[in-house]
Amino acid sequence: MVMMRSFLKILPRLFLFIFLVSCSTEEKPAKVSVETFFKNPQQSNFQISPDGKYISFLKPYQGKLNLFVQSLTSKASFRISSFTDQSVRNYFWASNTHLLYFKDNGARENFQLFSSIYDGSNTIEVSLKPGTKVNFLDYLKHDSNDILLAINERNPENFDVYSLDLKTGKRVMIEKNPGSIVEWIADNDGEIRMAIGSDGVTETLYYREKGSKAFKAVKSSNFINTVKPIGLSSKANHIFALSDINRDKKAVVELNCLTGEETKVWYENKERDVLEVSYSRKGKSLNFVVFEDPKRKVHFFDEQLKNAFLDIKKKLNDDEIRLIHKDQKEQHLIIRSFTDKDPGSYYFYNLKNKNLMKLADVNPDIKPSMMCEMKHIKFKNRDGLELEGFLTLPKGRGVKKLPVVIYPHSGPNQRNSWAYSPEVQFFANRGYAVLQVNFRGSTGYGKAFIKQAFKNWSKNIQHDITDGVKWLIQEDIADPSRIAIFGYSFGGFSALNQVVYNPKMYVCAASYSGYINLFTYIKGFPAYYKPYQQMIDLIIGNPEKDVEYLRYSSPIFQTNRIKTPLIIWQGGKDPKVNLSETNQFVKEIRKNNVEVNYIVNENEGHYLSDEKSKINFYAQLDSFFDKYLNRSNR
Amino acid sequence: MKSEELRYRKNFLLIIVFMVLISVSLIIALFLGYNFTRKYVENEFSSKKIEVLEQTIAPYNSFFQNAVPEVSFYQGYLDSASASKYADSVLQQYRFVDRIIFYDVYISNRPIEDGLTADNFKLGIKNVFRYGRNISKDSIVIYDNSRDDNLSLNASEELNKVGLKFVNYIEQADTTQALSEEIIFKTFYNVTPNRITYMNVPRREEIKVYKDLMLKKLPPSPRYQQDIFTFELNPYQLVIKNIHPEIYQFINIRKQSFDPVLEKPNLLTTDISLSGPFADYKLYFASEKDFLIKEVGRRFMPIAFGVFFIYCILALITFLIYRNLNINQKLFKLQYDFINNFTHEFKTPVSVIKIAGNNIKSAKELSEREKNHYGKILDEEADRLNDLMNRLLSFTQIENRAIKLKNEDINLEIFAQNIIDSFQIKYADYEIDLLIKGVETFKSDPLLLGSLFDNLIENAYKYAKPGSKFLKITIYKFRKNIVFSFEDKGIGIERKEIKNIFKKFYRIQSQYNQQGSVGLGLAFCKELVNFMDGDITVTSKPGVGSHFKITLPYDK
Repeated sequence: MVMMRSFLKILPRLFLFIFLVSCSTEEKPAKVSVETFFKNPQQSNFQISPDGKYISFLKPYQGKLNLFVQSLTSKASFRISSFTDQSVRNYFWASNTHLLYFKDNGARENFQLFSSIYDGSNTIEVSLKPGTKVNFLDYLKHDSNDILLAINERNPENFDVYSLDLKTGKRVMIEKNPGSIVEWIADNDGEIRMAIGSDGVTETLYYREKGSKAFKAVKSSNFINTVKPIGLSSKANHIFALSDINRDKKAVVELNCLTGEETKVWYENKERDVLEVSYSRKGKSLNFVVFEDPKRKVHFFDEQLKNAFLDIKKKLNDDEIRLIHKDQKEQHLIIRSFTDKDPGSYYFYNLKNKNLMKLADVNPDIKPSMMCEMKHIKFKNRDGLELEGFLTLPKGRGVKKLPVVIYPHSGPNQRNSWAYSPEVQFFANRGYAVLQVNFRGSTGYGKAFIKQAFKNWSKNIQHDITDGVKWLIQEDIADPSRIAIFGYSFGGFSALNQVVYNPKMYVCAASYSGYINLFTYIKGFPAYYKPYQQMIDLIIGNPEKDVEYLRYSSPIFQTNRIKTPLIIWQGGKDPKVNLSETNQFVKEIRKNNVEVNYIVNENEGHYLSDEKSKINFYAQLDSFFDKYLNRSNR
Repeated sequence: MKSEELRYRKNFLLIIVFMVLISVSLIIALFLGYNFTRKYVENEFSSKKIEVLEQTIAPYNSFFQNAVPEVSFYQGYLDSASASKYADSVLQQYRFVDRIIFYDVYISNRPIEDGLTADNFKLGIKNVFRYGRNISKDSIVIYDNSRDDNLSLNASEELNKVGLKFVNYIEQADTTQALSEEIIFKTFYNVTPNRITYMNVPRREEIKVYKDLMLKKLPPSPRYQQDIFTFELNPYQLVIKNIHPEIYQFINIRKQSFDPVLEKPNLLTTDISLSGPFADYKLYFASEKDFLIKEVGRRFMPIAFGVFFIYCILALITFLIYRNLNINQKLFKLQYDFINNFTHEFKTPVSVIKIAGNNIKSAKELSEREKNHYGKILDEEADRLNDLMNRLLSFTQIENRAIKLKNEDINLEIFAQNIIDSFQIKYADYEIDLLIKGVETFKSDPLLLGSLFDNLIENAYKYAKPGSKFLKITIYKFRKNIVFSFEDKGIGIERKEIKNIFKKFYRIQSQYNQQGSVGLGLAFCKELVNFMDGDITVTSKPGVGSHFKITLPYDK
């Protein structure tokens, strides 16, 4: 009581002090609200119709995402769907006139597939057995009414190929899955020419000549190696593929499917994986490839697109751009721009008249001038390996002894890229430096780098994160008494692992759908992912043979070591993180008198899809970090 | 009447009544205190058992809340090796777990040989293992699907119970809802006397699959793994933590049917039931009556001491009040006498002054001689009054310790000779010898020391016959003290008077002190010496002389 009263007495002086301190340094940007950072984008998933006449996108209608079409030739615009119960998850231009779209509840339940004409008429629901899922495969020909779908109606573990007549809604199975095929690829005529089979250990690329029935194995790769077909090349029986067979980094090559030989290397970078390939169906050729070093770099094969990109970049002050979609003739493009400080905008570009038209801002309320710069950093880990990452420093707070949020990425087979991130900018806006480490297991650095994370989720990967924090302390950027860690999914797993094995390093930690039990994570792979079981054994661990390692790695078995205050978000229907396990986890930590702010949203899955719940979570995270990172360390 | 009320009173009766009252209170307090303590201990005997129960059952609660649900964390992936590790850790940590039986089962819609069937839903058994302390290696496996074994009835009973609960649940499971704690407890636990059977809680996705397997005709499904554990518990292995050994002499775990009355009639007993799988048992507490009486005594002791201590303090205060009253009474009497005496002393000079005044007033004319005569009388009598008042004042000051002692270096020879000289001017027939041995200076207040000298030298002259007015003053060091010795050849003091001469207002009635002595002189000296932390003594022989000796500390 007495302390409280004396604290209240000094409070005005404290405010004055803070005010003076803040006046003495360079201007700090105003606080941007949690809503501004995390509200859902108004328009998303822009696509262009095959004939380049319409633009389609998803936009909220009565609180749920619905499909809209805008004509490019006239002012006409149409709302295709009017769902008020569930959002449209994805859609697909099936022809110049037809759109195919589906909705579900976000947890891949209550899946429903529909087809409509671009003006919203002739809507039919494609009848499916309950529980069935559909993947869009390809159109046959753009003027035809038939398209190809992969459907797992016959057996939840196997997707078969069907041809669907858009007008009648009738479908015919044209390719039955022999049981091992996990992916199908068609040619420009809609004929299935390639398939990827998997028996768990090896993935095999199958090819068949035009008109032939029998598939022939071209190349096998296990999950460590990649041979990812991109499309058929103009040479007969040759395909383009992304391959890292006989090399460490993924390169774009041309394969002879009859001999299995690699006949040409189209692009190879000795340092980096190729991350994106743009393939031209029209010319059966490559448009360009993309890699990151550390920013986005594009290597063009197509002069026309190269010039288009140069022109667009010039018009957008050299902002980064990404090709989102293109029409069949490759004369109309949808482009998205972005920088580290700017979520960017969608643009429509016409190659003929070089006209660039803005379609929508991703988040118009974000003022890039108030956002913070993302810097590329390098440091050596305990094994002497040089690691990369990004460091975002808050504006107007100097460069020394800052409170820091460590933000490990999910995956772990993901990467941090130089781009706008709402989380990073949110933390920086609150005055915290943000460190993102591309730890071992991150993509883009080749196979060997990824392999070092196999069965090392709680070891090598965590060592790299810890070494990143130590580097920040050594450089005097971080205030060692004010370091927090936050992560989503695998990042949440990392955050929990960090506080289990480095309890003194962090003042608090936040886990958003973090895996707390690897046994459950392993069990969480749906039945149709069964082919991947042996891969899981190698990457994560065998749930029967590696019990000790999995116990070491799973925070749920280590609750007695957790002494750090936590905030945990859990979706009630998360298939990867079990609600009742998280309940038990929280109960046991609280039993040890450790503060846990535990937030459960009953109807959410692994990812926060409801806007209100999402904003609520980040608002709570905001005050949680404020409590621990802004308290004076003196 | 009124004058009587204002009189000083001794209040003996009041004090006696008060003493009696507090003594009675003491006895009542002790009596009540003992009775309350006894009641308190009896209450504790029947209430503290809950604390003992909580302590005793704590490991079981931790087992039930942590160790058992841990099975679910493995998601059915436990096999003989990992299950054995898990079982070992449980057996090691929880002594009351006697045996663990592990059923490695699977769920599918394929035909099975042994297990549970409900519609298309089949719960098949792969293996059954038994873990425990002192179980030989070859009896760990009690059923193996690949061998041609038959599962014993006893082992299959638990499996069937849990299996049936599970099948019932699957049949009507609402897979859109998350599993509530209540459903988990109802479905996946089977708690029977001395036994808990638990099946790992599958994820919502598996429950959906199981439901489909049961209710739909599907192609042969994969085998979904489930783990079932039966924990056989032994309540007698629960470690009883007697956290109140002062109340409970014996604590045991007994069957509910156990009746303590038959055992020892002199035993005080109580019990409390265990719950869950131990519901057939109770914690049985017993203490001998003597043991509890001892405990009552132990707790009562400090209370009794406290009460008695307060009583003693009260008695002591009463005594002190009584003593002070007594002293005040005597003091009052003494001062009363003093005022009488003193008034008398004042009366003489005052009346002499009055007479002289009257004479001057009534005389028509004063001759030079008369003027000198009256002037001398007035001067002398005023001096006497002044002297009287000075003495009274300084005496009161010293008595009340109101003056502050100076501390000066006194050269003893100069100091003493000055005083002697002044006396010899005053009394020409006074012979004073001074002898100083081994000291030169002394640190003290010269005024006070002078007063001592004045009084003693004056007295020696006063109480001596003319012709024998002789005084010998000796100053010398004796150990850590300095001694001032005054030896005269005066009239001396009677033996019976010696103890009184230092009292205030005491005067030996004799012809030698007619002229204005108050009887304060020696009392004043005594006060002074006390004030200076010293001592004054006297030896005397009537007719021969007196010897006063003042001892003062030399090194302070």
